[in-house]
Amino acid sequence: MNALTASAAIATGRVQLANVRQKSLVTAKIRALWVLVLFVFMTLTATVRLAQLGLFEQTPERTSMAEALLPPRGEITDRNGVALARAFPSYSLWFNPKALGEGGAPLVKTPEEVAKALLAIFPDGDYADLVTRLKAGKPSYLRRRVLPEEANRVFSLGEPALEFPRENQRYYPQGSLAAHVLGYVDEEGAGHVGMEQVLEKRLLDPAQRGTPTALSLDARAQGALEDELGRGMIDSKAKGAAGVILDVDTGEIVALASLPSFNPNRSDLAVNDLVFNRVSNQVYELGSVVKPLTVAAAIDAGVITDLATRWSAAPLNIGGFTIHDSHSFGASLNVPEALIHSSNIVTAQVADKLGGPALRRTMMALGMNERPTIELPARGFPLWPHGTNKQGDWARITTMTVSYGHGLAMTPLHLAAAYAAMVNGGVWRPSTLYKVDQAHIPAGRRVFKASTSARMRQLLRMIVVDGTGKKADASGFRVGGKTGSAEKPGSGGYRRTSLIATFAAAFPMDKPRYVVVAMLDEPQGTQATSGQRTAAWNAAPVVSRVVSRIGPMLGVVPDGSRDIDISDLSPLVGNGDGE
Amino acid sequence: MIVSAHRLRSVGWIALLALCAALVMILAFRVNALRSQVHRAEVHIVALKQEKMYLETEFETRANQQQLKAWNDVEFGYVAPTASQYLENERQLAAWSKPSELDAPAPIRVASADDSVIAQAAFPAMVSPLSGKALADEKPAAEPDAPAPKALDHAAATAALGERLGTVAHVDKTRDKARDKSVDKAADKSSAAKTVKSKVAAKAEKPAATKAKTASATKPAKPAGKTTKLAANDTKRKEQKGK
Repeated sequence: MNALTASAAIATGRVQLANVRQKSLVTAKIRALWVLVLFVFMTLTATVRLAQLGLFEQTPERTSMAEALLPPRGEITDRNGVALARAFPSYSLWFNPKALGEGGAPLVKTPEEVAKALLAIFPDGDYADLVTRLKAGKPSYLRRRVLPEEANRVFSLGEPALEFPRENQRYYPQGSLAAHVLGYVDEEGAGHVGMEQVLEKRLLDPAQRGTPTALSLDARAQGALEDELGRGMIDSKAKGAAGVILDVDTGEIVALASLPSFNPNRSDLAVNDLVFNRVSNQVYELGSVVKPLTVAAAIDAGVITDLATRWSAAPLNIGGFTIHDSHSFGASLNVPEALIHSSNIVTAQVADKLGGPALRRTMMALGMNERPTIELPARGFPLWPHGTNKQGDWARITTMTVSYGHGLAMTPLHLAAAYAAMVNGGVWRPSTLYKVDQAHIPAGRRVFKASTSARMRQLLRMIVVDGTGKKADASGFRVGGKTGSAEKPGSGGYRRTSLIATFAAAFPMDKPRYVVVAMLDEPQGTQATSGQRTAAWNAAPVVSRVVSRIGPMLGVVPDGSRDIDISDLSPLVGNGDGE
Repeated sequence: MIVSAHRLRSVGWIALLALCAALVMILAFRVNALRSQVHRAEVHIVALKQEKMYLETEFETRANQQQLKAWNDVEFGYVAPTASQYLENERQLAAWSKPSELDAPAPIRVASADDSVIAQAAFPAMVSPLSGKALADEKPAAEPDAPAPKALDHAAATAALGERLGTVAHVDKTRDKARDKSVDKAADKSSAAKTVKSKVAAKAEKPAATKAKTASATKPAKPAGKTTKLAANDTKRKEQKGK
């Protein structure tokens, strides 16, 4: 019993001990489990995160390379890939008065000192304006475009308030070159005037703006044309000048210049009279340069079959209106002589014999009754003479005046396209500013027979060899062309001293490749032009210089031993001197 | 036992699965590492391309048509090439050469390989219409009566050379010394007669011992054939002059 009690007592103590042990064991196990769960959770989280990072790494700013390189506005190049307009993130100079914190002075030095230092970097700046802006303490642009080296110099002034944010702007590396063709982009990013306006959609289209748009222009030829026209303008003290170079076989405009010009990089300076395009927008009565077109129409129609036929050169009186020549060339002239001396009287008679409807048809076929075909928005409507009946037929006197370039006002571009048709074998093609590949040359429409075109090439060459165009003869380039010095209409008739001097030429005449038209607006007689104001003395030398500069670039090899054969016509003319 | 084998198998499967998963994960990590490298490279390319564009634009701006024109006006004065600067073909080029005058010295020949072999090879051998072989092949290879190549008459050759160069006045006096190969060589190589003259003179004044040294130091004489040819030419010219 005693022993039993004792053993029972021991047993109870053991049981209690076992219980405690069990309990603490369970607690430890639970705690270990918690730790394990925690560890597993952490491991899982880490693994998941690792997998997430490793498998689907996505950075928010990640963009494709093509996207990063896509310009905000497409590039425009010339036919050889020379950039004419491109989107360029250029620096601008921004005044941020809060750069040094609120409250204190925005600048380290005084505004006057800073303005002076800025003026040393940008000499064209306005000191007073700079000081007012710096003193005003308002954030503003101090300058829209800053060169990197200028930015460095401004940075070295040590003014934190002068910042250089990079902004996407339109940049024209060639400056004012081809400004009228390109146009400009305003501060809101909209294109104006030229191809910037025409190509607006394409230049902004994300699918297309990555590839540059090639124009038909050749930057080198454009440079030469602008340069020589500018020189001609200065030499003759002309008000303005216009020029165009046209590929006779494709209708591509290789160069188009209208002076005075503007710099598209400074769109704020592009004021209206500079933006005005004299080549495609302004219409002029171009005068004698139209005569070859009349003669070509007459040869084509079979009215002139014998070039030796002599026509009376006595002043012509038609219904009270007398047609004169610049001076008397004798009693009679044949057609080559009439072109060489630029006789209004003979041309009028030829047109009279040809008849108004035929001349009108030819002029219409040459596109003289509609705006010039070019992509530019600035296209002038010709002053087409009114008809006398429902069919629009011209009066006899109108036919006669149109034949020598009066009464029908056209743009220089009309004239260039017509000359291209006259020398290229007789096919008129629309002129274009897009590069045309050889497989897609427009068919055009036939205006003259090929034989007429061949004859006209001879006649045009004779004008340069023997006639009024002698000064246009770039040696070795076989230039052919015609002068035109038309009086400008003013109040109360034509003004004798305000001329439009034009020279329309093509070269090389044995196989014409390019038409060059140069026009000077109101040239004066100066020492450089021997006191003369007619085209023979101012526009013709421009063409000569342009041709000798662009010929080698455009692949026309000058050759003194080669020329178009004019031996069948040269006996018809005595070596006359021109107008 | 059976249970433990079953368990072992499933543990094996799980291990295999884990291994595969681990491998896939490693692969995926590597792919992604590479991808981000590519991305970094792309970013670098974009930066470089933009930099290139800036530099290009700057260059184009500095070298624009108007700027080039201004520089050309002030600095260079280049003008477009004229018609006279173009040559269309070899004939036009040849037309520029001047016909040689009567008493002009003959053009100076420089040492060259014997070109008679080349000249022979340039003309196709005449082919027999019967055998279809070259006529030369039908003949015995070496004709017994073919003239033996002329022995080198060095004295004549040197004399002729002196005459041909026209200005070596004292060649006769120094004929024996002039046989020295080095003189021959110098005369042949030199393009100006004056140089030859001075060299010959210098040689003549030098003591014999020096001459011998020079002779042994110089290269061996030219092939006999060439010299013979030169000599023959010179005799021909002599005859023409005599006429």
